[in-house]
Amino acid sequence: MIRFEGAVVRYPRAARAAVDGVTLDAPVGRVTAVAGPNGSGKSTLVRALLGRIPVAAGRVLVGDDDAAHLDRRTFATRVAVVPQREEPAFPLRVRDYVALGRYPHGGAWGAATPEDRSAVDRAVARADVAALAERRTDELSGGEWQRVRIARALAQEGRALVLDEPTTFLDVAHEMAVFELLAALAVEGVAVLLVSHQLNLVARFAHHIVLLNRGRVAAAGTPADVMQGSTLEAVYEWPLVVSRDPAVGAPTLVPLRAARRLP
Amino acid sequence: MADGGADCGAFRRLGHLPSGSGARLRLLVLSAARRSVALPLVASLVALGSMVAAGCTRESAGGGPGLAAVDDFGDTVVVGRTPRRIVSLNPATTEMLFALGAGARLVGRTHWDVYPDSARLVPDLGNGLQPNVEAVLATRPDLVVLYASEDNRAAARRFRAAGVGTVALKVDSIAEFRRAVLLLGQLVGDTARARTVADSVARTLAAVRAATAGLPRVSVFWHVWDAPLLTIGAGSYLNELVEIAGGRNVYRDLPSPSPQITLEDVVRRDPDVILAGPEGARRIQTDPAWRSLAAVRAGRVRLVDTAIVGRPSVRLGEAAVSLARLLHPGAVELRP
Amino acid sequence: MTRLGDLSAVRFWLPAAAALVALLTAAVAFGAVPLSPHAVWRAVLGAGDETTVAIVRSLRMPRAALAALVGAALGMSGAALQGSLRNALAEPYLLGVSGGAAVGAVSAVALGVAGAAAVPVAAFAGAAVAVGVVLLVARAARGRADPRVLLMAGVIVGAFANAAIMVALADAPPNTTRGALWWMMGSVAGADWPRVAWLALYLAVGGGALVLWARDIDVLSLGEEPAAALGVHVERASRRVYLAASLLAAATVAAAGLVGFVGLVVPHIARGAGLRGHRAVLLGAALCGAALLVGADLAARVLRAPAELPLGAVTALVGVPFFLVQLRRASA
Repeated sequence: MIRFEGAVVRYPRAARAAVDGVTLDAPVGRVTAVAGPNGSGKSTLVRALLGRIPVAAGRVLVGDDDAAHLDRRTFATRVAVVPQREEPAFPLRVRDYVALGRYPHGGAWGAATPEDRSAVDRAVARADVAALAERRTDELSGGEWQRVRIARALAQEGRALVLDEPTTFLDVAHEMAVFELLAALAVEGVAVLLVSHQLNLVARFAHHIVLLNRGRVAAAGTPADVMQGSTLEAVYEWPLVVSRDPAVGAPTLVPLRAARRLP
Repeated sequence: MADGGADCGAFRRLGHLPSGSGARLRLLVLSAARRSVALPLVASLVALGSMVAAGCTRESAGGGPGLAAVDDFGDTVVVGRTPRRIVSLNPATTEMLFALGAGARLVGRTHWDVYPDSARLVPDLGNGLQPNVEAVLATRPDLVVLYASEDNRAAARRFRAAGVGTVALKVDSIAEFRRAVLLLGQLVGDTARARTVADSVARTLAAVRAATAGLPRVSVFWHVWDAPLLTIGAGSYLNELVEIAGGRNVYRDLPSPSPQITLEDVVRRDPDVILAGPEGARRIQTDPAWRSLAAVRAGRVRLVDTAIVGRPSVRLGEAAVSLARLLHPGAVELRP
Repeated sequence: MTRLGDLSAVRFWLPAAAALVALLTAAVAFGAVPLSPHAVWRAVLGAGDETTVAIVRSLRMPRAALAALVGAALGMSGAALQGSLRNALAEPYLLGVSGGAAVGAVSAVALGVAGAAAVPVAAFAGAAVAVGVVLLVARAARGRADPRVLLMAGVIVGAFANAAIMVALADAPPNTTRGALWWMMGSVAGADWPRVAWLALYLAVGGGALVLWARDIDVLSLGEEPAAALGVHVERASRRVYLAASLLAAATVAAAGLVGFVGLVVPHIARGAGLRGHRAVLLGAALCGAALLVGADLAARVLRAPAELPLGAVTALVGVPFFLVQLRRASA
C-alpha cells in the first residue's frame, strides 16, 4: 500500500542525507515497523510521506500513485497519519476533535453528512474512546489522548495508518493496548506503518521490521531476522543480547551495563 | 555679558545711565582704556561706576533702564545691553518685534512665524516648542524670546546657562499681549513705540466693543480643527475677541484654550453662527453630519481670515474689527 | 466532567443578539442632545424637525452602525488569527497592520492631504504594504507559515513604523500632532453612511471568506503536522487566512483608527461562552465584538461630555477586566 523506492531526503544545509536510498514496503493487512536509533531517519520518512519535505531522489508510492502527485486531500483519504506530537491550541470536545478526521472527505462548507457521523461513531468505538467522547481534549491523560488521536486517524477511514512513535509517555498497559489495537486493525485489512524505537514491542506485533541506521536500511525482514545481536549492536552501538522468552514468543533485546563491555 | 553684582531684582541694562554725566565719564574712560594697558582695571571701574549710577527705578523713558521684570517662567529677565541679535520663537512675538522696528535685528524665527511677510527673510530655526537649542545658539543671539510653555523650560535653562538673555512670555490673552509688547519694547530700547502699538490696539478694541455694545449677542461656534473636533474655550484670546466683537462663544464655559468636543454637543448648544477657516468651512458645508446644525442649514458659516486672527499680536484690533463684521454684517461700520 | 452540549450555544446566541440590539438602540437614543424615545423613533423613520432627524440619521445611526461593523470585523479577525497562529494572544494588528496603517494615516495628516477620504485610503494602503512586507520577510527567513517567524516579522515592521511616525511628527505643528494622536487612539466620530457602506462590504467579503475557511482554521489550530496529515495545504491555507484577517483589520483601521483590545479579547469571550469550532467562534466573536464596540462608543461619548474619550482607551478599560476574568476561568 505504501512503498518507498530508493527514497533520498535531504534537509537544507545538512552534511549527509537524512534518508539515503531507503526502500520499504508496507502492504495491506500487515504491521510494518520502522526502527532504528535516534537520527536514523525514521521521522523523516513520515515527513516525506506527508509531503512536508521534498524527496530528492526515488519515489514514495501510495497504492499505485506517486505521493508527490497526489492532491493532499486525496492522500489524506487514503493514508491517515498520527504525528509524533500534537497539542491543540484551544481545547475541543473529543467528539468534535475526532470529527476533524473527516476533513479530507468534506466539501468546502464542511457540513457533517450522515456518513461523516457514522464514521466518527465507528472510529470512536474502534479506538475505545466512547467514554471520553464528551470530555475536553485538555482534560485527558496521556494514554487517553493517544487513543483519541488514533480515533481521529481512524475517522479518516484510509486504507493505511501511519503512526510516528505512538507510545511515547505511555505506561505498560496503555502501550500494550495501543499495539493490540494496531494488530487488530491490520487483521481488518489496514496497512499499518509504525515508526517506533520500542524494539521489544515491535518485535512482538510487527510482521516486518525495517531497521534504519544513518538513513540507510541496516536490516529488513521478520523480527527473527532483524533481531540479531550482532546486527543490533552494530546499529545501536551499545552492548546487548537478544534473548527469547518462550512465554513471550518473540525475540527480546536486553541492553547490557557498560562495565560489562567486552573488547 | 556681565550680570551686575548688586542685585536689586531689577531689570538692568548696563551702559545706559540715567544722566548724561555718567555716559560722558564712560566714553572718556573707554577712550583712555584703548591707549592704556590697564584696560581690565579700567573696565572694572567703569562697570562698578555704571552699576552704582544705574540704580533701579520704575521710570521708563526712551531707552532708560527697565521696570522690574520677571518673565512668565518666574525668572528674572537679565540682558547685558541693547540686544542686537534677537531670536524670537513665537509667531506673536516675531510680529511684535517687527512692529517695534526691531525686525532687522532678528536672526532667527520659528518655521511658522510668517507675519509680516518680511519675517520670511529671517532664518528659520525650526520648532518653537522644544526648540533646537544648538541651532539657536549658533546664530549667536543676545536675546531669545520663548513661548512660556512647560515644554520650553529646559530650553530656557540651557539658553541662560549659555549666558544668553532669555525671556519666556505667555501670549495667550489680550492682557498678555499688552504686557509682552511693552516688555519687548523695553528690551529693544523703544518703549515709546511699544506704548503706541499697545495703545492703538487697545483703542481699536475699545471702539469695537463700544460699537457692538448695544447689539444683540450672536452665539458663535468657532471650528478650529476637525479630527478631533476642537474649538476655542475661555482660555483663548479668540474667546475675548468674540466677546468684544459682539458675540458669545458657546463654549466659553470650558476653561481650556482649545477644548475637544463632540458634534452632537455643538448641536445641543445651537450656535447662531459658525466661524471656521477655509478647510474647516469646506468640510462643514459638504459633510451631511454637520447639517444637523441649524446654522449650517441656514448658511450661516462664515470664513475667518486666519492671517489676521491667528495670533494674539499687533493685529488684534484688526481681528476684532473683522470678527465684528462677520457677526454683525452691515450693522457695524468701522474704519480699520 | 465538562458538558459542552449545544445547549450552551443557544444560551449564547440569543442573549448576545439581544445585547447587541439593546446597545444599538441605546446608542441611537442617547447623546448630548436629550431626545424623547418617541422623537427618536420618528426621526429614525425620517419624520420630525430637521435638527432631530439630522442628529439621529446623520450623527448617531452611522456612528452606531460603524462601531458595530468595526467591532464585528475586529472580533472575526482576531478569532481567525488566534486559531491559525495557534496563539491565544494573537490579535488583528499583529502582522504589521497597525504600524503600517499608522504610518499611512499620520503621513496623510502631517502632509495635510486634503479630502475626507485621504486618511482612510492612506491608512489602508499603509496596512496593506506592511502586511505584504511581513509575509515577504517571513518567506525570506524561510519561515513560510511558521507563526513565530511571522510574529517576529510583525514586531519588527511595527517598530520600524513607530520610528517613522515619530519622524513624521517631529516638526509638526501642535494641532497636527494632536490629530495624529487622536487617530491613533481610534474613534468612530467621523462616521458617515458611505464609510459604513464600504466597511459593510469588506466585512461581508472578508468575514464571509473567513467563515468559509473556518474548517481550515479548525484543522490548522491543531498544529502544522496534524493539519498536513489531514490534507490541509498548510502554507496556502495559513497565508490566505492571514491575508483575509489582516485586510479586514486594515479596513477597520481605515474606518476608525486603531481600536485596540477588541480583536484580542472578543474571541476569548466567544470561546469562554462555550462556542467550539471556528465557524461558531468567528460568528460569535463578530456578535460580541459588535456589541462591545457599540457600548464602548456610547461610553466614550457620554462619560466625559462634552469631550469625547478615545475609543481605543475605552475598549482597553472595558477589555482588561473581561480579559482578567477569562484568564482566571481558563487557569482554574
